Amino acid sequence: MIRCLSPQLHAEHQKIRHTKALLVPLGFLGFYFLWTMWQISSMKPDEFPTGYAMLFYQLPVMNAILLPLMISVIASRICDMEVKGDTLKLLYTIQKPGSFFDCKYLNSFRYLVFFTIGQGLLILFFGSLKKFGGFRSEDYFLYLLTVLIVSAVILVIQQTLSLLSENQLFPLGVGIAGSFLGLFSMFFPVPVARFVLWGYYAAFSTVGMDWNKDTRIIHYYEIPFPTHKFILFLAFGVLIFLLCRTVFSKKEV
Amino acid sequence: MGPVIVTDSLTKKYKAKAVVDQLDLRVPGGSIYGFLGPNGAGKSTTLKMLLGLVRPTEGHIQILGKDLDSRNRLNILSETGSLIEAPAYYGHLSGKENLQIVCTLKNVPEKEIQRVLHVVRMEGQQNKKVSQYSLGMKQRLGLAAALLGNPKLLLLDEPTNGLDPAGIQEMRELICSLPAAFGITVLISSHLLSEMDQMATHVGIINQGQLIFQDSLSVLHEHSRGRLYLHTSDDQTALLVLKNSGIPAQWRDGRLSLKLMEDSKVMHAAALLVNSGIGILRLEEQQMSLEDIFLQLTGKQVSL
Repeated sequence: MIRCLSPQLHAEHQKIRHTKALLVPLGFLGFYFLWTMWQISSMKPDEFPTGYAMLFYQLPVMNAILLPLMISVIASRICDMEVKGDTLKLLYTIQKPGSFFDCKYLNSFRYLVFFTIGQGLLILFFGSLKKFGGFRSEDYFLYLLTVLIVSAVILVIQQTLSLLSENQLFPLGVGIAGSFLGLFSMFFPVPVARFVLWGYYAAFSTVGMDWNKDTRIIHYYEIPFPTHKFILFLAFGVLIFLLCRTVFSKKEV
Repeated sequence: MGPVIVTDSLTKKYKAKAVVDQLDLRVPGGSIYGFLGPNGAGKSTTLKMLLGLVRPTEGHIQILGKDLDSRNRLNILSETGSLIEAPAYYGHLSGKENLQIVCTLKNVPEKEIQRVLHVVRMEGQQNKKVSQYSLGMKQRLGLAAALLGNPKLLLLDEPTNGLDPAGIQEMRELICSLPAAFGITVLISSHLLSEMDQMATHVGIINQGQLIFQDSLSVLHEHSRGRLYLHTSDDQTALLVLKNSGIPAQWRDGRLSLKLMEDSKVMHAAALLVNSGIGILRLEEQQMSLEDIFLQLTGKQVSL
């Protein structure tokens, strides 16, 4: 299958020449770099031993706000060229709609992998710079995995919307709405929050926080990774992918 | 050469409305087949069905001798090229980069690019961004993309739409040269009758989804049987004189008319009238234009 998709993936790579799409995840990584710098600058030395816990608690919240927006911009950047150039009528005489959808997705997914690795390196960089304590490789990899998987599921929706919309304002609007929903879902009742896809960045966090009003001390504590919830989410993600792929493939051009 | 496109009872319905209705196309190999019809007649839908972009409600499609179905569609279409409605392009890339993408997808060596650019006379603009191309250049680039891989069949949907007169002329010359130069059969749709008259060897006329004529252009021209119109000093008496002499004259469109006949018979009719004391003021031959035939067939005005 990969061999069959290989020329199509190469074509996707040829299409994104001159688009500077890599600048999108790079720009967001730059923002995270500045934000983390600002966070660290306000930390007291006695907070450094729990530095990693602080990062693993705060970054998912930031991700819930920023990543839906980043993903909508990436999807729009990659898909808008097909809408603007009215290319589907040509492409569908050379490739299957489903393969086109898959290759488009894999192409955009590379940017998510790039971002996730970049964020992982940033965490290690700041951790070693300030000699943070409490590093647990399990938390680290689970964090990166959940960032990638939640982003991947959101990407399916954004890609489908971008390919089906004549005007990219709508999918970008959905991305912005997702950012707000993701943030506010943390304050929603659990049965409601369960249905907010964009809120799962924080839902899979392995670090919790207590703030003592009197002592004004923050205490980070470990939360067991919700494995069952994660597997269900993965299955749901696959279902969304198949559904979106079918809807897109069935559309006549 | 046998037909390269055969459709049997090809039909496309949207809800209850048949946009294409029981279409039996026969496109002969090596021909330029003009697929003619007013706007909204079902031309684009038919072409899209031939390319598998739209699923037929019923009917059969055979292209290059093979039945078209969802499994072998891409295999069959690898021997075709198409340009449907507006040209497809990536505006942020150059013409050459656009063709490189098509080469990759069609698995055609990139050296083909210079050949097709030469055919469409666009070697000079290949490194310019397509967003800066004129519509005519975009159409030619679309045609170049369609020509990649040496297709046996080209399907072009209104390729001269929106072009200026010079662009139309250039595109027309280009299309006309394809069958002889590369052995390509061309199916070209248009609502411009005059255009088809200058390009096509065969014509199919579609109206409200139904094929109302299909044959060679010469057969279509045979429908344009000419007539002779006579204006005399007394048309009514002239009609009687001619009829009494067994000459097929009739009163048509408020004028005295004769069927087109041999010169000697015309001379005989004229002499007959003059000898009857009727002066001939005017004698004119009128051919039925393609537009007239089209109107007769469809009962609809078309763009000329």
